[in-house]
Amino acid sequence: MKHNSTARTLAVLVLLGVAAFPLYWMLVTSLTPSERLFDATPNLLPTLSQIGTYAAAFTETSLRQWLVNSLIVAVGTTVLSILLSVLPAYALSRLTFNGKLLLGFALFMTQMLPEAMLVVPLYDIFTKLSLLNTLLGLILANTAFTVPVVTWILKGAIDGVPSEIEEAARVDGCSRLGIVLAVVVPLIAPTLAAAAVIAFFHGWNEYVFAQTFISDDALRTASVGLASFVGELSTPVHTVMAVGFIYTLPAVVFYLFVQRYVVAGMTTGGVKG
Amino acid sequence: MMSRTVSQPRAAARRAPIDHGRWVPALFVAPVALYLLVFQGYPLVQEFLLSVTSTSLLSPGQQTYVGLDNYRELVFDPEFHQVLRVTAVYTLVCVVASIGLGLLAALLLDGTFRGRGIARALVTIPWAAPPVAAALIFVWMFNAQYGLFSHLAQFLGFADGGVNWLDEPSYALPAILITTVWQIFPFSSVVILAALQGVPSELREAAVIDGADRLSIFRAVTWPTIRPSVALLTLLITVWSLRRFDVIWLMTQGGPLGETNTLVIDLYRRAFVYLDLGRAAAVGIIGLVVAILVTLVYFWLSTRAEKAAGKR
Repeated sequence: MKHNSTARTLAVLVLLGVAAFPLYWMLVTSLTPSERLFDATPNLLPTLSQIGTYAAAFTETSLRQWLVNSLIVAVGTTVLSILLSVLPAYALSRLTFNGKLLLGFALFMTQMLPEAMLVVPLYDIFTKLSLLNTLLGLILANTAFTVPVVTWILKGAIDGVPSEIEEAARVDGCSRLGIVLAVVVPLIAPTLAAAAVIAFFHGWNEYVFAQTFISDDALRTASVGLASFVGELSTPVHTVMAVGFIYTLPAVVFYLFVQRYVVAGMTTGGVKG
Repeated sequence: MMSRTVSQPRAAARRAPIDHGRWVPALFVAPVALYLLVFQGYPLVQEFLLSVTSTSLLSPGQQTYVGLDNYRELVFDPEFHQVLRVTAVYTLVCVVASIGLGLLAALLLDGTFRGRGIARALVTIPWAAPPVAAALIFVWMFNAQYGLFSHLAQFLGFADGGVNWLDEPSYALPAILITTVWQIFPFSSVVILAALQGVPSELREAAVIDGADRLSIFRAVTWPTIRPSVALLTLLITVWSLRRFDVIWLMTQGGPLGETNTLVIDLYRRAFVYLDLGRAAAVGIIGLVVAILVTLVYFWLSTRAEKAAGKR
């Protein structure tokens, strides 16, 4: 098909501008001297001599600690989600059992529960289990929301594995658990990676639970640390934007690298499921 | 058509499963079932029990059973009617705008052109950005005096002075919607783009040879292929919009004058600002019922559509 290629290029550039501009604007703001932030006409280009803001973001805020906490929560959520999801995903795809429909329904229900709704009862549970104000508590709460999505995506991938491969392994005397771990898991590795990325992002971005369950400053995650600047006037805007940029950039770059797998995983699992 | 030939033997395999002990499914499912019961099921029941009591956050131990009073008062509360209205507008615009924009972006990025890979990756940036960071940057861009949108409004002659986007009742919801749609439209575009790969190119080429114009090719060839994906996106974005908290809370906390007060924001305000746990729980349960109803309607409509497509 022939396209008017100039018009298309222009449209694509506008689209990319819309998508990327706010992030660019965050960078520009972080690299603009305080006194020039309030000029009558905005400065659209970064002032490169202001690069020191980025060092200040680390020394003037607890950014380093926040990032470490977010990383712990995100990795914990990812590992726990995968560990919990592989076997039920296999069961949903391959086995017949009582309550299969109920499990599928329960997984779907969790998509409708707002996190904010469960804050009060979860607070109660964590108080009883002494998990309040711990990163482990956050990991457990986040995982409750990632497990259903991860399970569903993995089920979609397992649906696509030809069962003849499994039967061959079974003839060789492999147990059911052995088949899952040694045969199925390697075959769905790309989808597994995609699901892991989705769980990681959930943990990295999560705000409501981190805001309500953590009271210790040293245990704050980056989302809560950054949110504490919204509407607060004592921290300079360019420092806040630098903190935001440092928190955002690794996530975006990481995502750009793994995007291909995430899309493939979401479409085989989620959309066709 | 491909998928049918592939899925037939699989369905047969499912009907005659490989022999296995009864304990295998139980063992595979038990951990996750237990986990969801503890962290989703039990809290949900607790929330329901709270909703029929009068309970303050200051003394959660002292609960008075009030039956359906919380629900009854909400039903007759004009402020809660506003909450429902705001939620409906917010959800509807999120769905329509992010799918519309996503479809437009996907059609633009489909096919082959130079830099396609980079363009496809870049467009997903907003989806990868943490919502709190998105809220922060948009709060700055909507700032009355120094914000870019304020400058833009003045430059285009819409306003004489600074526009107080987030404090102005009629602008706050649009400002929040711009932020939310910016964040989620890439997800629609990625899903639709993937669906577009399934459009049979022979059909499209045949249509071109027959002299069909672009719009009728879209209607006859492209749309039927991507329709299931668009349907699923509609459901997902509806449900996600109904539970969206972070961006709205950080930008306006439901204000000004309740113009951005969605169900989830209202529930959080009632619990943590007014300390009224019982009423907050009732709002949560109503929100859940709304989400379930929407989902049931979705499934009813999509089975009907499938039947209609099958008859054709």
